[in-house]
Amino acid sequence: MLLRGLSWLVLCQLLGTALNVLLIPILPGPIIGMLLLFVFLLLRGEVGEPLHLASTSLLKYLPLLLVPPAVGVMAYAEDIFADFWAIAGALLLSLLISIVFAGWLMQKLIDRQQRREDA
Amino acid sequence: MSLDWHAAWQALIHHPLFGVGITLGAYQLAIAAYEKTRWVFLQPVLLSMLAVIGILLACGLTFAEYKDSAAALTLFLGPTTVALAVPLFLNLRRIRQLFWPTLITLLVAGVVATVLGITLAWVFGAEQIMLMSMAPKSVTSPIAMLVANQIGGIAALAAVFVMITGIIGAIIGPALLKRCGVHHPAALGMALGLTAHAVGTARALQEGEECGAFSALAMSLMGVFTAVLLPLAILLWL
Repeated sequence: MLLRGLSWLVLCQLLGTALNVLLIPILPGPIIGMLLLFVFLLLRGEVGEPLHLASTSLLKYLPLLLVPPAVGVMAYAEDIFADFWAIAGALLLSLLISIVFAGWLMQKLIDRQQRREDA
Repeated sequence: MSLDWHAAWQALIHHPLFGVGITLGAYQLAIAAYEKTRWVFLQPVLLSMLAVIGILLACGLTFAEYKDSAAALTLFLGPTTVALAVPLFLNLRRIRQLFWPTLITLLVAGVVATVLGITLAWVFGAEQIMLMSMAPKSVTSPIAMLVANQIGGIAALAAVFVMITGIIGAIIGPALLKRCGVHHPAALGMALGLTAHAVGTARALQEGEECGAFSALAMSLMGVFTAVLLPLAILLWL
């Protein structure tokens, strides 16, 4: 079951990579693969048991898979220290403002839509 | 008989599975520490990252070597990204109900997040190459690296900024948003996915399935929009 679901995921990723090279070099293979799988699910109208099992198992370990790219910070320690305050300030401030802004805007738009539906 | 401890140690730390081993070990310890304390600063990704960096420095290994020996893990990042289509599809009905709020937030807040980052770094006096590496900080790292390359930044630095943004967003995002009166799971998810990409999405999945679905949606659409629009915008502007 798990293997069959995993095969689908790998197949989508491989197709995505092929399309990435052939047609759309600007989008990475996995993202094209995700869009492909999404379209496939739309056409099929349901998520099969093997695919559901494989995707929930993999997504459970998403934080673990992100550790190796995160360790990449150590390779650029010197460049970051050179511009440390500019980088740290810009990253932190823009993140704080944009995350609150995004959440606030979405919440307001949802509230407005709900009020309109109630009226 | 004298045992060759040195050769044994070298064989151990240069084994192609050493990276996988320390990552798995560090991650499980980090998860255990997080479950025990529930302290927000002990985000598993951050804690494991620090532990792995500590071990690498202690063993005198470079990131390039670690990257090769942890390749077995990074390889699965692709299929896992593909797997995000499943929660996206399962929550399609809810996303359809909130179609306009989602689209408007994505466009307006996406532009704000990107422009604000570049402007602040410019005001604070960072170099041009740093600015261009920082522009795609809110999108998932494979896209950010590609985009940074195209607009004249350093791909690996972009990945670092993406990671820092994601980790900080996941640590303080949910508490900050709730304090600011954002309670709807869709709004929480949108904010996390839009600004803190995959790390934010991993955090959003902990909040619940609806939150995770909106986060995955925001992350992928933000990625697609950034990949297409950012190089165009830079081209027109410069």
